[in-house]
Order: sequence, then structure tokens, then C-alpha cells
Amino acid sequence: MLTEFGKIFIFFLLGIGLVAAGLVTAWLLRPARPYPEKRATYECGEEPIGSPWVRLNVRFYIIALIFLIFDVEVVFLFPWALVYRNLGLFGLFEMVVFLGILFVGYAYVWAKGDLSWDKPTPQIPTLHSRVHFSEGDLQTPSEQRR
Amino acid sequence: MVTETILQQLVLFVPELILTGTFCLILLTGAFTKLRDYGTSTLTLIGSIAAFISVLPTIGVQKSLFAGMIAIDSFAVFFKLFSLVCLIGITLFSLHAGELKLVRTRSAEYYALLVAMTLGMFLMASATHLLMMVLAMELTSLSAYVLAGYTKEAADSSEASLKYILYGAVASGLLLYGISILYGLTGSLHYTTINHVLAVEPLSRVPLALVFVLLLVGFGFKISAVPFHSWTPDVYEGAPITITTFLSVASKAAGFAMLIRFFKLVCVNPVASVEAGYSIPLLPIDWQLLLAVLAVLTMTVGNLVALWQENLKRLLAYSSIAHAGYMLIGVVSFTDKGIASVLVYLVVYLFMNMGAFLVVMVVANKTGSEDIRTYRGLGSRSPFLAIAMTVFLISLTGIPPTAGFIGKLYLFAAALDAQWYWLAFLGVLNSVLALYYYVRIIRNMFLRESESAVPNISLTSGEVLLLGALLVPTLVFGIFFSPIVEIAQKSIVMLGVP
Repeated sequence: MLTEFGKIFIFFLLGIGLVAAGLVTAWLLRPARPYPEKRATYECGEEPIGSPWVRLNVRFYIIALIFLIFDVEVVFLFPWALVYRNLGLFGLFEMVVFLGILFVGYAYVWAKGDLSWDKPTPQIPTLHSRVHFSEGDLQTPSEQRR
Repeated sequence: MVTETILQQLVLFVPELILTGTFCLILLTGAFTKLRDYGTSTLTLIGSIAAFISVLPTIGVQKSLFAGMIAIDSFAVFFKLFSLVCLIGITLFSLHAGELKLVRTRSAEYYALLVAMTLGMFLMASATHLLMMVLAMELTSLSAYVLAGYTKEAADSSEASLKYILYGAVASGLLLYGISILYGLTGSLHYTTINHVLAVEPLSRVPLALVFVLLLVGFGFKISAVPFHSWTPDVYEGAPITITTFLSVASKAAGFAMLIRFFKLVCVNPVASVEAGYSIPLLPIDWQLLLAVLAVLTMTVGNLVALWQENLKRLLAYSSIAHAGYMLIGVVSFTDKGIASVLVYLVVYLFMNMGAFLVVMVVANKTGSEDIRTYRGLGSRSPFLAIAMTVFLISLTGIPPTAGFIGKLYLFAAALDAQWYWLAFLGVLNSVLALYYYVRIIRNMFLRESESAVPNISLTSGEVLLLGALLVPTLVFGIFFSPIVEIAQKSIVMLGVP
């Protein structure tokens, strides 16, 4: 006797089996000749620079959070749009209230300045050296030759 | 028509709507105007009083709203009024809190989140659908996470917030997992439907036991019952003291409301209860015993660890864990008397616990310390404060003629009535244990001299009024307690319970 969950379980097993079968077949058939370039992280064909574990600006987190809130609202808007005619004026008012509350959040975020992305002011490195350079010292050898 | 029924039902939903409006208004005020602390706290007070008034017409109404999502009944009304009283109290506390003075620029967020938390508690108390319950719990918890770290400049406040959110996320994850299994077993999220399925269909014990353990994790986290209490001391110590007070009183009460409603609606035998006229437990697993073990653990661990606390905020945190244990006794006995005794205890607890925290706050404002040594010689330096603290502590211990005695009396009587003799015995034993650490504070205040010259603590008139407003009920309800008992007995009326 198979329950509804039993069917899901078989489906689950089949899913695992398919993936496993694919991986095992590939492992059996492919030639294994690894070399450093092959094992390197793929970065659009470029040579990878540095570690992928970099710090991300915390501002991305806030933006992602805000995005999530305003993205999820659409989930409510679509079904509402489908039955809009049946709901009539009440439905319209309801959605205005809903969007109004969301707008409060939007206005708050805006007023608090979380939407303005202040650009970093790049600091161009300057050389402070006691050694006096003549014009020619700062040129590359090829430039000197010219 | 669907829309007309919704519109009719909205009339009963006005308190929640008022709170939502207040929340939005405070946020906008904070973002666009120069109104700061006094402005936003006044808005909070106006909003909460308006909500209070709008709850009053729903007294005695018994109705299910929004396709069985929430219920309006006396039980919900009781907890709504309870959390509003807490909100008003905490708003007044906040005006005197020294910790919050440093972060006045963010006070709009503070009050807005307090209102949001109260809204969450409203829904927690009235939810009759598992999804609504989870949503309400999350609303309360998420606001609380932010509020615990409100003074983010203080390291321990941020630490408290982070710990709270980590524990909270795990607890709600487990709760949701339990709910999903329960849904898989019964095919419904409505409390009453789940109850009918549980009563009719023979379900196997193992998944059901798993469900109830997982649900208890969620509930236990909210009421900080042992072994799900480990967040409590750190969060209570690190959070601003106003928030600690709010968490220990209102949030705990809402947790109990949720727990009681769930067990009362889901875990009773519907047919036998109607015939008998009182609730008869259902379920193949002995969940009452499970809760009883939880109650004993909570009381004992809370009291034992409180014995060696030096920081008063932390001590009161452990004492609040122990009090959750006492209240669980009432839930275990499961009779009308038991539930009523929990409500009585909550009312009493509101006054005495808020009072004790207020004294700690006032002392911390002046001395900057919550250490028990700061209280040495307080009796001679500021007698009123020391006497007030003594009354609150005696009440927390449960010694007559204070309100705490009445609360405990009703709880233990209910347990005896339901023939949980060993539970009542352990409860009484624990009260004796609690006496030690409460009296230690009193001894420090009156029998010990302070080592260094400590400034006298002078109280502002607002603080005296607040203390008096908490002190008078703590004493009066110890002698003249019939009104709260009557209110509690009326407030156990729950929609769909025989």
C-alpha cells in the first residue's frame, strides 16, 4: 500500500538516482588528467586573482532586504489583479491600503537615506619620498630610450 | 458577499487597525519631522489608549474572523488589554530610562517597534490558525530582536540582539517543522479541524510525539521555559531595561496565551468534553506529563541559577524563568481553575515584576550599575525606593499580604484540585528556594552598609508616581483580590471550547 507521501518518496529516490547515475557515468567515461590550470576557479577564462572570500559592503544587505519587501508585494498584486473585477471598489480600496502601508516603508527608507548610494571618493596614491627625482627617473626604460 | 462579511468583521478588528496606524504614523513622524522623544512617546500613548478604548466594546463578543484565522473572545480581550497596559507602562518607563537618553535620535523606531510588538501580541492571543500564530509570533519576535539591540553603541546590547535572533531563528524553524508535520498528519492548519482529525483518526504516536516536542520548542522559547531558556539571561541583561521588562511581562504573557489556546483547542477530546462539561485531554501521548516535567525543570533551574547572580537584571531574568515555571503548573492542570489561575498570576506578575525592574532602572540611572553591591545601604539612603523594592520582592516570593501570594495560592490550589499533588509540592518547595535570593537583595538594602560614599538617590515626581502606581496594586490585590479573580474567571471563555 502506497500513501501519497510514499509516491513522493519514490520520486525523491528517482531524483537522487538520476543525478547519481549521471555523475557516476561521467566519472567512469571521462579521462582523468588534471593539471593546475584545469583545477583553477573558472573566472570567464581569465586567470583568477585573489581569494573569492572578499568582504562585501554591508549596504548590499540593506538593498537586498528592501528589494525583498517590495518584490514580495508583487506576489499579492498578481492574484488581486485576477479577481479585481469581482471585488469591486472594496478590493481597490483594500489594495490602496496595502500599498499605502508599503509606501510608508518606502518613504521611511528614502528619508533615512538608505537608498542613496554614496560613491566612494577614490584616494589616488601619491609618492612621498625624500629622494629627489629628476624628470628622467620617473620614466620607464622604453620612454627614456625615445 | 465576501467583501461585506469582511467589512462587518473589520469592526471587531479596529484595535489592531489602530495599532497599525499608530505604527505607520510614528515611523513617518520620525522620518520627516523634528519630533523626537516626547513627540513620539505621546503618539504611542495616544495610540495605545485609543486601542484600549476600542478593545472595550469587544468584551463579551465571541466571533471567529477572516475565515477562522483569528478569534475574538474574552480570552483574547484579556490579553489585548494586558499587553496594552504593559505598552503604556513601558512607554512611561522609557521616558525615565537613562540608557535611552543617549540614543534619542532613534526614539521613533523604538516606539514604533514597541507598538508593532504589541500588535504581534494581539494576534498571538487571538490566532486560531497555525499560520496566523506563526506570523504573529514572528512579528513580535522580529521587533523584539531589533529592540534588544536598540542601544547598539553598547556592546552587550548588540550581543543580546544577536544571541536572541540566533536562538529565535532556530526555535521558529523547529516550530515550523513541527507545524508542517502536523499539517501532513491532519491536513489542516485550523485549530478546530486539527482537533477533529486528532479525535477521529487513529494516528501513530511517534510522529505526533515529535510534533508536540517541536511545538513545545517554539512555545518554550517564547515563554523561556527550561531547556529553551538559554537566551533569556543574556538578552535580559544586555537589552535596555525597558525592553527587558516588556519581554519578561508582555511577551511572556502572549506566549502563554498562544500556548493555552493551542492546547485548549487542539488537545481536548471534543465529544467527551461536551458531555462532561469541562476539558478532557486528548492525544495518545501524555502531553500533560511532558508539560509538568517542563514546569518543574523551569522552576528549579530558574531558581537554582538565580541563587548566585550578582547582577540584578540577570537575577530577575532567572526569576522570570522560574515564574514561567509556576505559571506552567496552571496550564498543566488544564482545568478552568488552572487557566484562570494563570491569568490571575499574570496580572499580579505584571505589577510586581514591572515594579522590581523599575527600581533596578532608577538605581541604574543614578549609579550606572546593576550590581547587587550597589544596593547596600539603599534602605537608609532612599527609604522609599528600598521599601518599594522590598514589597515587590516579597510579592515575587509569594509571601502574604502581597499580591504574589494570591497568585501562587490560586496556581497551587488549581494543581491540587486537578490532583497534581507532586507538582504543587515541588512548586511550594521552589518558592522557598526563591526566598533566599530575593531576601539577599533585601538584606543588602537594609542590613549592609555601603563601602564607598554613594550619592543619595532622589526620585523625580514621575518616578514616584510610576512606582506608586505599581506598588498600590501589588499591596491591594494581596488583600482585595476578588476583582482580578472574577475577571480571570470570565476571561477563560474561549471560542470553540466547551
